[in-house]
Amino acid sequence: MSAEAIERGEPSGERDGVGDGGITYVSYGGEHPLPLVMSLVDEELSEPYSIFTYRYFVYLWPQLTFLAFDPKDGKCVGTVVCKMGEHRGAFRGYIAMLVVLKPYRGRGIATELVKRSIQVMMESGCEEVTLEAEVTNKGALALYSRLGFIRAKRLYRYYLNGVDAFRLKLLFPRPDPGLHPMMLGNERDDQHMDSPYL
Amino acid sequence: METSSSSSAPPPPPHSIPASGVWEDASPLLAAACRDLQDGELVHGENFSLFGAMSALEIMDPKMDSGIEKSGYYSIEEAIEDGIAPVPLSLDRTIDVQRTLDVMDHLFSCEATWHKGHTLAQTVFTCIYLMRMERTSSHAILNSFCRILRATCYAVVSVVSTARTHEEEDLFTMSFGLPLRDEGDEKCLSILNSVEETISRQLRACKAQALSKKKTLEGLESLQDNPDLEEDYCRALLCRLRFRKHFYHVVTCLRKPHGKGLELARKHVASCLTELSLMLKSRDFLKSQSNHTLQQDDEICTTASGVRPVGFDASLNSRLLSPAPPRAVKILSWSDAIRYFEKLLCDLDIICSSPLDPVLENVLHFVVQFQKSVPDLVPRAFLQTLLVQDGKLYGRDLSCDVISRALSLPDIIGDKEFQMNEFVVQLGQLVINLLKILCTNTAWQRRKLGKSLQDWSTISIQLELALKREFGETRNVLPHENMCMRVSKQLLVWTQEHTYWVAYRFLILGFELDLYSPSEYCMVYWYMYVVLMKLIEQMQLRILASNENSRRKGKKKKDHSKDSSRDMAFPSSCLLLQCYVLLSEGLSMMLAALRIKSNLFQLPSIFNSEQERFIQHFDLLQKARLPEHITYYSFRESASHATIADLMKYNFFKEIHKITPSLRGSFASEPEKLAEIRQIEQVAEHNRIALNIISQVRAGDPSLRVSFEFTHHPHFAVAVVKRS
Repeated sequence: MSAEAIERGEPSGERDGVGDGGITYVSYGGEHPLPLVMSLVDEELSEPYSIFTYRYFVYLWPQLTFLAFDPKDGKCVGTVVCKMGEHRGAFRGYIAMLVVLKPYRGRGIATELVKRSIQVMMESGCEEVTLEAEVTNKGALALYSRLGFIRAKRLYRYYLNGVDAFRLKLLFPRPDPGLHPMMLGNERDDQHMDSPYL
Repeated sequence: METSSSSSAPPPPPHSIPASGVWEDASPLLAAACRDLQDGELVHGENFSLFGAMSALEIMDPKMDSGIEKSGYYSIEEAIEDGIAPVPLSLDRTIDVQRTLDVMDHLFSCEATWHKGHTLAQTVFTCIYLMRMERTSSHAILNSFCRILRATCYAVVSVVSTARTHEEEDLFTMSFGLPLRDEGDEKCLSILNSVEETISRQLRACKAQALSKKKTLEGLESLQDNPDLEEDYCRALLCRLRFRKHFYHVVTCLRKPHGKGLELARKHVASCLTELSLMLKSRDFLKSQSNHTLQQDDEICTTASGVRPVGFDASLNSRLLSPAPPRAVKILSWSDAIRYFEKLLCDLDIICSSPLDPVLENVLHFVVQFQKSVPDLVPRAFLQTLLVQDGKLYGRDLSCDVISRALSLPDIIGDKEFQMNEFVVQLGQLVINLLKILCTNTAWQRRKLGKSLQDWSTISIQLELALKREFGETRNVLPHENMCMRVSKQLLVWTQEHTYWVAYRFLILGFELDLYSPSEYCMVYWYMYVVLMKLIEQMQLRILASNENSRRKGKKKKDHSKDSSRDMAFPSSCLLLQCYVLLSEGLSMMLAALRIKSNLFQLPSIFNSEQERFIQHFDLLQKARLPEHITYYSFRESASHATIADLMKYNFFKEIHKITPSLRGSFASEPEKLAEIRQIEQVAEHNRIALNIISQVRAGDPSLRVSFEFTHHPHFAVAVVKRS
């Protein structure tokens, strides 16, 4: 699943808490934000999600769901919905939905939302974060690329509308014992190969 | 109250009620639970999974409930009663022919849409005439057309199911209990032939009549009532019916075992293309005769006449598709459908041109070349079913024989001991799997290739260990070695060569799938260089050994001119790889130098570093130890010393031009390889020029803009330099 409705060319410059333009970011809590999340996603994304899908995420991982509000009118203008758990022996975070309303795009709101979720995932012990994005969604692809995601796979006709998806992955650094650069000098002599770059 | 559906199956009910069990009415408990729950709340267990949550559909939500799509009809019978699919299609015989042609054209567009990845139920089987074919028995033309179309669909479903192209065929082969097969369908060809014969006699009569200027057509019943239009309607019908006939032949000939039907299939492919062009030609006439007020734009209309057909209802089957959200189906326009079939037939023609070559290298080359035109599911399935039948190459050559042939050891073809060898058995399985994988779409193919690397590498390692155990450490093939040892060594070299071949294909498919970002090109080309060097190394070892074999054989047999000509071909395939090595090394070094010199193509991120991106991209290669001792640090060390000055000195792009002339000579008879060489030269030349410009810019100059584009080769980028 997962889909991103965000504008291309989101600036990478970030601010904290209350950003410029005075957006406030709130972690999910209580029942009342659910309709906000649902209406935002329904409005902006093509994929249909049942109420169970939303509940699955926000009840099990409320700490990974964030909302962005415009304090001028209290309007909810963006949200990110995620999960985390074991996946093939790794503890993995997953970004399910990321939405920012059209008039609010291009202001770094999506980046800020997703950074907050990733930060919590990292602190919770995730080794990596994944998500899927439409191959045509240049804005989302650029955003995640700036955050260090690679395009790990292409998923053929992944979405209901027949468009391919990329599976994006972000690997967090981990201690890498035994592979210190100093130890590699001798081993490289084993290669029956001229060293690249002469 | 809403309930959730869950992916995990409930425990099976007990076969009998346990004697100790006491039944109790749970209704009050459930009622109490319901009272506690607010609207939209949910009770879920431990096993409440994402799959379960996503599989749940909200009834009456138009985005999810495919049954809701407001069809006016609850059943086909109701639609028929309402007269949306009349037989005859009109009481006016001219309109009846017009409408018949529209139905044929719309079905043609539906068929193409199905091939492009939609369900039969939402495409071809939206046709009520096809769903209730018995109704059309009085309408010979429509009946024969529908019957052969249905038989063709069935045959195509069977090819795709046999090929098992994994996730792709899911939607394609689902028939939802539709009437896809009927007893009479075996006779579809003879039924069609007799209809065709009648119309072509009519056409001949029309021509004769035009010559003799007679007014009546003796002894023949006309298609319709306007004699001036008779000839054109005959032609329009004939090309459509003949297309169906030849296409059915293509499908059945391609399925003949051992590729025995290829030659005949090719003739029918050519006939199909001829009929397609006649169909296109008929468009002007059909448009001129149809009601202008009903005509749609060429870009959307699904018929040649431009008129919407009678007898279709897109929503009748939508209830069959539950439980799944409705997939958007837009039927291809008739023009697009023509283009689809032209492409399909060209792809099938390539398959028909297969020489059924038993030499694995040539088979691999054939499949890779075939994939370059990005064929759709149907032709890929046909190729796969040709290549692999009953676990044998073309259903003919045992995979162990394919391997022994590749080892240039004809003596052991058919040798039972070799065939039974556990390594040979495993490798044979890998070869068959590899051929199947190479026929899948590139996205899936890359994933499967990546996974298979581990298997290839494991066998390599086991072979190497076995060899050491049996014969000690000597690596070179000596003339006095016994046969067994020689075979083992060559098998090892062959295995490693193919392991690196798979690894290289895995890497380059990443470019075709757009998986690499420009900031990653440097490490990707670096890794390609490493893999290519290993590939060449193994290839050379194999050639050496095979030369040794043919030398020995030459002692026994005088006439070995054939072998020596094949030996000559090996160095050119090595040289071609050498060009890729130079391109990879040059591009990687240029990118590395640009990073140092101008801070370009670097992408610092807050959550990880380049090392993590390296690990992720090459994880499968690293796990399979391809090659051993290669890590991120090896890359970083190379990349940190790169300078433009060095690159200018050892100009890899210039070097390529020293190799290509001799390659042209070797590949003079292979146009596709000559085209490849041309592309390589273009990439090299553009990058050489770009490098010259970059070398003149001083370090850190912010006006330097470099981008990389794949304008000349799908895998090797060309640097585009701009000064702002």
